[in-house]
Amino acid sequence: MALALVKKAIISNPSSFRKTVGIFCNAARNHWNYQYKPGPYPRTQAEREAAAKKYGLTIDEYQPYPEEMCYGDYPKMPDIGADSKDPSYPYDSPELKRNFNETFHAQAEIFGEDRYDISMRPRLPVLTQLTWFLCTITGSFLLYFYFENHKFGRPVTVKQYPQDGPHYLFSPK
Amino acid sequence: MGQMMGSYNARNVDLYMDDNPTFNHQDGFSFNRKQREMIAKEEDLVSARIPPKYRDYCSHYLLEYQVCRYKNMPMLYKCAHEKHDYLNCEHQDYMLRMKEFERERRLRLRENRLVGVA
Repeated sequence: MALALVKKAIISNPSSFRKTVGIFCNAARNHWNYQYKPGPYPRTQAEREAAAKKYGLTIDEYQPYPEEMCYGDYPKMPDIGADSKDPSYPYDSPELKRNFNETFHAQAEIFGEDRYDISMRPRLPVLTQLTWFLCTITGSFLLYFYFENHKFGRPVTVKQYPQDGPHYLFSPK
Repeated sequence: MGQMMGSYNARNVDLYMDDNPTFNHQDGFSFNRKQREMIAKEEDLVSARIPPKYRDYCSHYLLEYQVCRYKNMPMLYKCAHEKHDYLNCEHQDYMLRMKEFERERRLRLRENRLVGVA
């Protein structure tokens, strides 16, 4: 049945069939990365304005990466991790905390909620954390080395087995 | 504190848990001490497959207890007396070890004292 339908489609409308096959076979080829590549680094004011318009930013917001970083005219967005964004704001795409047509950060793939939050502020400063960690470890080792020389045990001699020679009770014969 | 600190001061005479006694068994006694006797026979213990760890001076009670368990298998409450006997014996065994420890400690202190005088 399915085969008959395919055969009929080929015979009745060959060009449409060819297009369909072309779409399926060339999905990657027709949407390749070079089409998303940023343009060349903007040098004049006019180029800057054109680039800002292209990325949907105002000319004040727009600032390209330094030329030697090879990002072309891609704008430098503020470093804000998705975890640091307001969770109550009604985003167009709440699962990404992103609005429609909002410009991506150049490294947006690592700033997801499940990955790295570059703008995270630790509850305690890192120096405090390090101090606490080192103090705990040092204290543990000091205790360990102290008790290495002060072994505790129950006040008993070795367990008596018949094969270990005669043992005696504390009562007369 | 008896569990942890009991042997703590004994380290002053270099005596620790599970050490072997070093003095003659008769030192400090006015009477002849009674020797402990092993009642259970080794081949019986082997036959009952009692592990070497449990083949101590109380193993005849353990043997009795295991025989009782075997005979009354589902109704193990019937072996309560045998079990009690065995655990009492182990308790006395442990007390003996504690006494040996204390005796060893005091004899070592005495020896140190005598050496200090001489």
